Amino acid sequence: MMLKATIDADILKESIDAISALVTECRLHTDETGMSTRAVDTANVAMISLSLKKEAFESFESTKNELGMDIAKMKNIFGMMGKDDLIILELPDDGHKLKVSFEGYRYSITLLDPNTIRKDPNPPNIDLPGKVVLSGSELNNAIKAASVVSDKIALGIDPASSLFYMSAEGDTDHIRREFGKNEVNYINSSEARSLFSLDYLKDMGKVMNKAEEVEVSLGIDHPAKFSFYIAGGNGHVEYLLAPRIEAD
Amino acid sequence: MLFSEFAGYADQLEQISGRLDMIDLISRVLPGLDDAELPIFTRFVMGRIFPDWSPLKLGIGPNLLYDAMTGIIDATRNDIIDDINEAGDVGTAFEKILSMRKSEAYSSRSAQSATIQKQLFEQTEEMTLSSVYHDLERIARAGGRSSQQQKLNIIRSLLSSATPKEGKYLARLLLEDFRIGVGEGNAREAVAKAFSVDSSLVEHAHQALNDLGEVALLAKTGENALRDVHIRIFHPVKMMLAQQGTISGAIADNREMAAEYKYDGSRFQFHKSGDQCRMYSRKLEDVTDALPDIIVMLDSATDHEVILDGEVIAIKDKKPLPFQTVLRRFRRKHGIDAISKEILMIPNIFDILYLDGDTLIDKPLSERRRLLERVVSGHVAPQTVSDDPGVIEKIYDEALALGHEGIMLKVPGSPYTPGIRGKNWIKIKPSVDTLDLAVIGADWGEGKRAHLFGSFLLACRDNGALVPLSKVATGFSDEQLADAYEILKDHVIARSGKEVKFEHFLVFEVGYSEIQKSPNYPSGFALRFPRFVRIRDDKAVDEVETLSGIRERYRQQSGG
Repeated sequence: MMLKATIDADILKESIDAISALVTECRLHTDETGMSTRAVDTANVAMISLSLKKEAFESFESTKNELGMDIAKMKNIFGMMGKDDLIILELPDDGHKLKVSFEGYRYSITLLDPNTIRKDPNPPNIDLPGKVVLSGSELNNAIKAASVVSDKIALGIDPASSLFYMSAEGDTDHIRREFGKNEVNYINSSEARSLFSLDYLKDMGKVMNKAEEVEVSLGIDHPAKFSFYIAGGNGHVEYLLAPRIEAD
Repeated sequence: MLFSEFAGYADQLEQISGRLDMIDLISRVLPGLDDAELPIFTRFVMGRIFPDWSPLKLGIGPNLLYDAMTGIIDATRNDIIDDINEAGDVGTAFEKILSMRKSEAYSSRSAQSATIQKQLFEQTEEMTLSSVYHDLERIARAGGRSSQQQKLNIIRSLLSSATPKEGKYLARLLLEDFRIGVGEGNAREAVAKAFSVDSSLVEHAHQALNDLGEVALLAKTGENALRDVHIRIFHPVKMMLAQQGTISGAIADNREMAAEYKYDGSRFQFHKSGDQCRMYSRKLEDVTDALPDIIVMLDSATDHEVILDGEVIAIKDKKPLPFQTVLRRFRRKHGIDAISKEILMIPNIFDILYLDGDTLIDKPLSERRRLLERVVSGHVAPQTVSDDPGVIEKIYDEALALGHEGIMLKVPGSPYTPGIRGKNWIKIKPSVDTLDLAVIGADWGEGKRAHLFGSFLLACRDNGALVPLSKVATGFSDEQLADAYEILKDHVIARSGKEVKFEHFLVFEVGYSEIQKSPNYPSGFALRFPRFVRIRDDKAVDEVETLSGIRERYRQQSGG
């Protein structure tokens, strides 16, 4: 057996949702310490790094493997699971079909050939000096509010007043949300401002909504990094999103 | 070689109109390529990806390609089709779309202020000729239920790292419609010139190997390597084709001719080595699994290692049946097993190209025939050699009475020339005015045909392009119309009002009473009383009638 694991349905769903916000398939790496994946969307704009420690599972045994996961298919399958189900994942030694059992259902899911999936990207080496930590639901609410008026949102830190702000400019409307020092868990005073596509942020926001806190790292016309825990602290997600910049 | 360099050469070649200048340019590039790149370049420049004998096929339709593009830019499939209609070709449209992505937001059609979406990574690895080929091979090998998704992802990753110029030629390669005007002839000449070898040797090696890429490698080694080529078992070679002619003309030109029935069936090439057998269609597709009982008959007819050329016919009540329709219908409705119960399928073998390690294509037909009769014990098609027109006329009448299409007259001393429609094989059949034309569009039907395509737009070939010639709306049974709809419905690439356009892949044989001059179609001709005869699924779009052929028929009917 290359992999045998039991996991809470909620944790598995949360992880798959986090990945499916950006990509429809990924290379999933497993070893004795847990699982991880890193994937970039086809347009090269956003990246997810996700890891689940073995402690996130009820039980976990694995050799070192690389699995080609059809995330879109997984999402459909796990959409029908109950909240508190336990899910058993098994990968026999031939390694082509993942067996998934829950609630009396037994799925046999054909894996993709990992070679047909884009290679794991190396995270770009960038310095993002601005940092703010706030609740995931506050962040998601502001993203949702902005998407009503525009398809882009600016995220920034005003160092003078130690404010984190999100602002969106529509054809006719404008929206701005400022988070003062008391509304965030942490903020530094590095000036930052970058513009982002709400198409991406909306999907990421839904995932971040559940996180108690999200660390946002920013620069000036630089990518943004959103980093947060899942699975009760036994899993971690990092999103990296490239900015939009003003055309000359 | 970087793919960008290849795109650069393709671009130069597209600008060149003179054949010799094209050959010259290619011949200067070829010697600088390494052994991995040389075959790829040679095929790519003709818009081919895999060796012609290879069973690998990309299987990418325009819609899949458009969908790949929608994953890269903010646009729907229809936006992209609009761009293509405007640009006139997919390559040019993709070039434009990709250049917009680099300079400003493609979505600036709707956006308020133009901003550019930055990417997380600068393009790190440049695409090379070999890396692109490798990706295309992965596309062809993608299988299983998620194969479309896998193909889509590979195309997306290719396009998303392509420069506009690369995207242009990548799109055309993916559709195997390269449009830079380099055909087999020019490419062969370029190979000969690049390595200073005799071009007839290149042509001969190409006929035997059916992959100009490999021939280029041999040419690089020298003329001896080219001279020493052998046909390989399980690498199908193109089939020799016949010209129209007359009995008296053929006898007058050649004195003696070998006459065989001309079977209305499905041409095949059978390869056998030990207990392994494969059968290939006229388009060189592997059809071994489609006709298991034919394989058994051929397999038991010889113990030798052979490549045989022949035709399978379907017989019911001792009469040959029009083959295409029968086979297609039965395959679909009853599965393969049921065919054999109601209809008898019989192979007729008329040539041998390879025997126990020896390549026979350069031997005269009379010698090949002798070997064929010696090593194959059944299903050899009868042949009569005669210089008497009366004898041959009699065989012709007999053939028609038996329900065959006519007869073939072959020059006994002639070699087998794969892929060539020469004067050594002459087909004699009653003059029926039918044309094989490509189906490029349709109108939705009316009344009881409301949910089907009612009339079809047909095109002939002209210099590699398809030129509309006629519409056909009559001659279909209800079942044939439903069939045509089933075959075509997933290949619609553009719609406007009642009209649709299709991917170019299907060939209709149509009858007509007369060819007329007409301003209504870009070909300048139109068919009077066109009627549907049958679907030619054994023919590819690049084999349909040419505009010059239409012109010739027009001249003949007007007594010129």
